[in-house]
Amino acid sequence: MPTPETLGPRVALHLLNRAGYGPRPGEIAGVLDRGPTKWVEEQLEPGPDPELDSRLAAYNTLGYSTSQVLGLYNADNRTIGTILDHFLNAKVVRAAHARNQLQEVLVDFWFNHFNVFVNDGFDRYSISSYERDAIRPYVLSSFRELLGKATLHPAMLYYLDNYLNTVPRTQGGRQVGGINENHGRELLELHTVGVDAGYSQTDVVEASRCLTGHGIDNVGQTGNYVYRPATHDDGSKQVFGLSLGSGGGASDVERLLDHLAVHPATARFVSKRLAQRFVADDPPEALVSRLASVFLGTGGDLREVTKALFGSAEFWAEAFGTGKPKTGFEFVISAVRAAGGEVQNPRLVRIAIQDSGMPLYACNPPTGYSNRGADWLNPSAQLYRMNFALDLAAGAVAGVSADIRGLVRGGGGDPESPASAADAINRVVFGRTLTAASLAAAGRVTTSSGVSVSARVAGLLLAGPEMQVR
Amino acid sequence: MSWDVSRRVFLRGAGLAAVGVGMAPSSLLVRTAQAASGAKVLVKVFLRGGADGLNLCAPYGDSEYYNLRGGIALPRPGQAGGVVNLDGYFGMHPEFAPLEPFFRDGRLAFVHAVGNPELSRSHFDAQDFQESGTPGDKQTPTGWLDRAIAQIPGKEVTQAVSFSSQLVRSYLGPEPVLVAQTLSSFDLRARNWRAEAETLLTSMYQADPTQVGITGLETFEAINTLLRAPTPPPSNGASYPNGNTGNALRQAAGLIKNGVGTRTVYVNVSGAFDTHSNQLNGNINDYRPLGQALAAFATDLGGLLDDVVLMVTTEFGRTARVNGAAGTDHGTGYAMLVLGGRVRGGRVLGRWPGLSSSQLYQNRDLAATTDFRDVFQEVARAQFGISASLFPGYTPGAGVGVV
Repeated sequence: MPTPETLGPRVALHLLNRAGYGPRPGEIAGVLDRGPTKWVEEQLEPGPDPELDSRLAAYNTLGYSTSQVLGLYNADNRTIGTILDHFLNAKVVRAAHARNQLQEVLVDFWFNHFNVFVNDGFDRYSISSYERDAIRPYVLSSFRELLGKATLHPAMLYYLDNYLNTVPRTQGGRQVGGINENHGRELLELHTVGVDAGYSQTDVVEASRCLTGHGIDNVGQTGNYVYRPATHDDGSKQVFGLSLGSGGGASDVERLLDHLAVHPATARFVSKRLAQRFVADDPPEALVSRLASVFLGTGGDLREVTKALFGSAEFWAEAFGTGKPKTGFEFVISAVRAAGGEVQNPRLVRIAIQDSGMPLYACNPPTGYSNRGADWLNPSAQLYRMNFALDLAAGAVAGVSADIRGLVRGGGGDPESPASAADAINRVVFGRTLTAASLAAAGRVTTSSGVSVSARVAGLLLAGPEMQVR
Repeated sequence: MSWDVSRRVFLRGAGLAAVGVGMAPSSLLVRTAQAASGAKVLVKVFLRGGADGLNLCAPYGDSEYYNLRGGIALPRPGQAGGVVNLDGYFGMHPEFAPLEPFFRDGRLAFVHAVGNPELSRSHFDAQDFQESGTPGDKQTPTGWLDRAIAQIPGKEVTQAVSFSSQLVRSYLGPEPVLVAQTLSSFDLRARNWRAEAETLLTSMYQADPTQVGITGLETFEAINTLLRAPTPPPSNGASYPNGNTGNALRQAAGLIKNGVGTRTVYVNVSGAFDTHSNQLNGNINDYRPLGQALAAFATDLGGLLDDVVLMVTTEFGRTARVNGAAGTDHGTGYAMLVLGGRVRGGRVLGRWPGLSSSQLYQNRDLAATTDFRDVFQEVARAQFGISASLFPGYTPGAGVGVV
């Protein structure tokens, strides 16, 4: 039963868990000092984060263009390993340390919505540009802008084979090229109106015709977007309620995206996915409808839709539910944060994320990783999660330092007393939400040998059931 | 999701009361193992992405195949890179050559033109429909394998195993499932205080009535089962290829040989089956380890293969015509591969619909002439004696005579 003493911390914990990757020590108190509403407003207007910048400074290839990456790779193919390391490490460091937590969660959400696969040939060289140039700047922008950037980025054009999607034509008496439906289909099914919107196989083909000619100038050398008029199907088209006359050229796809970006089915589909990520696996219909109205009323302004989400009663009510199971990535990062971990070398963190079934940027199908928490619960992932938490608390995750005694002392606890240490951790990073059973279990740790009392207590609590949900 | 979680809690609780987490007396485990030997096993291998049936089991005897496929048609048997002749009309992909002895001795069959009558060319919908077993209905709360194992006695967490990174839709529902990418080193890592950590964590998860708590307890049950029965090495000189499929089938064979009560195994294969471009290379890269792994699995099991039926399936076939990028787009009918000691193999089963324009579904895809549910039910009937329909709203036919 919530009391005035526990209500605030529970709400702050909920906010930090959903709008970010969970609390670091002291952040629950910080949200309460600031006020949850003010905190959300600040997160919706991400400001500079010089501390994060300095953590990322060593990853000096993060700003490289695809052409630069390909140039380096062609000169020495070992360079791509370093470049990808920088990119993957930055994902971990940002999630673990960024002040603008909501921005990082949104980048993760929208990348996943417009998923591409890091191990797919050309995308190894262009994925860094894809996230940096097509996703990150637009997560609080208009959906139309984000959709346009993602659709025509070379990484997407490669991943969904659109660079090979051309009007069939005759060369030297032989027919070459032809329609490739991959991108046209996923544009409708996954990126905009959703599979239940009622489009037909003909709509898939017509959308694919709009996309013909949009490709990549040279996949092995420069990797830039190019439009080739000669391979565009310039006939008239009918796509899901949109009529395009012949001769539209490159504007066909722009008009199609204009049409889809503000379609009521898109508003619903996008709103439902957001609500599923931030509120519940099966989000309340009233919330989805309300977000869809905000989406349509603002022409797809994602800042306004996100703001409405965090202003909803349904969002706050979830602070008192059973929680939403974390994905592997969310669990591992939230454990690092809760332990007050400093990530110097993310290598083992990345391995733990991979072992939890969620290797970074490596979701092969275009559906992206599931936004449903329940999909991530299974014994194998559970074992890896518990082992990561136990290692982390014992100081056995090389590259991540976590001062567990400091964590306990920060909560006014005694690191040598199991019950006192558990109480302190409960206050500092669980918002006093730990169950009696968990506190009792942590209070029963022994001091036999090897692992210290505070490391055992923290290990149990970080490996326990409350930590598995957000 | 609306399955009865309380029932699952009860069953798990009952199992724990009987066995005691971490304290299973060895005699009990021995009894379980004895009871399990000779028990029938169903293995489902899912090629995620829409594997092209026309190049998996190619109708080289149909000249339309070469007209439609152009540069991505597989050559006839005996030619360079040609298919392995099966019956004078169909040939399997050359990378399945390691499986040829099992076809010749009648333990491997193909079923062609299988599919989903409620057409979806969406990967996600087609996978969902196939795994729920209810085409057209997205609300079905359980998967077809969950419904099958509900009818098999025994509640060990190792009864249903899924080699995948997530719980697969086929297993969705109240029955416990061990989902794992690997079963090696399946133990709690708490040096110097492992027993204490296990006891305390177990008490924490026991107090959580949600799916999180249930999963935690299943984890400890699995740890204790697997620690007592480590995967044995391959037998009969079987050699598994490196990679996920080989690892999964090696461990699946180990579970079956160990007799830890495993009755169904699911192997998720997430290759590059979605061959929209450069299909020939993609198929070679995927079918080589698959063919090697299946042959190793059959070799490894030896006589135990008599207890096993393994079926390879996918969500849909691909377009009959080559597309503009030496690939194929999402289609309809596909080919299944069925392997097992009691499979009525050495044949390509199912009714072949033909490839002429009028015979293609919507003048584009291989038509589906066998409902996949007929084959699934046929295998479940043979392995588990399940005669009542596993598919709500559908009465499966007699099947294609594959087992």
